[in-house]
Amino acid sequence: LDATPAELVDKCIGSRIHIVMKTDKEIVGTLLGFDDFVNMVLEDVTEFEITPEGRRITKLDQILLNGNNITMRNPGQKPHEYGSTSL
Amino acid sequence: MSLRKQTPSDFLKQIIGRPVVVKLNSGVDYRGVLACLDGYMNIAIEQTEEYVNGQLKNKYGDAFLRGNNECSD
Repeated sequence: LDATPAELVDKCIGSRIHIVMKTDKEIVGTLLGFDDFVNMVLEDVTEFEITPEGRRITKLDQILLNGNNITMRNPGQKPHEYGSTSL
Repeated sequence: MSLRKQTPSDFLKQIIGRPVVVKLNSGVDYRGVLACLDGYMNIAIEQTEEYVNGQLKNKYGDAFLRGNNECSD
């Protein structure tokens, strides 16, 4: 099954996805689009920081997420509170 | 909720003049009105408030943020 990373991300447009950042922050949102650098436009976003308090920030408006600090993304909307083990 | 395909550059064009929050990796937030930006995500913000760990620390009439640092929003 041949798939480039860009094709995989493109399949997620319109769906909820879950993004893990380099800084142990996770973002869940609906993917509206992305560019060659995998900067992503998301809406209806919830931001989770992996701290003992489990701080949560919800933003309704759209965000532009800078691709520099993205580690991985998974389709779906269940964030892992402590670390991330899924592929 | 509009689910049209939107690339980052389209998004950036439409938010000029609107209030934004720019979050840096360092945990600092900048809130203000987006004045302008370029292809490297260097941005200029007016009436900027700087929040460190959720607390208001500084206010600037004009702020320039270098593109490499930008995280979200």
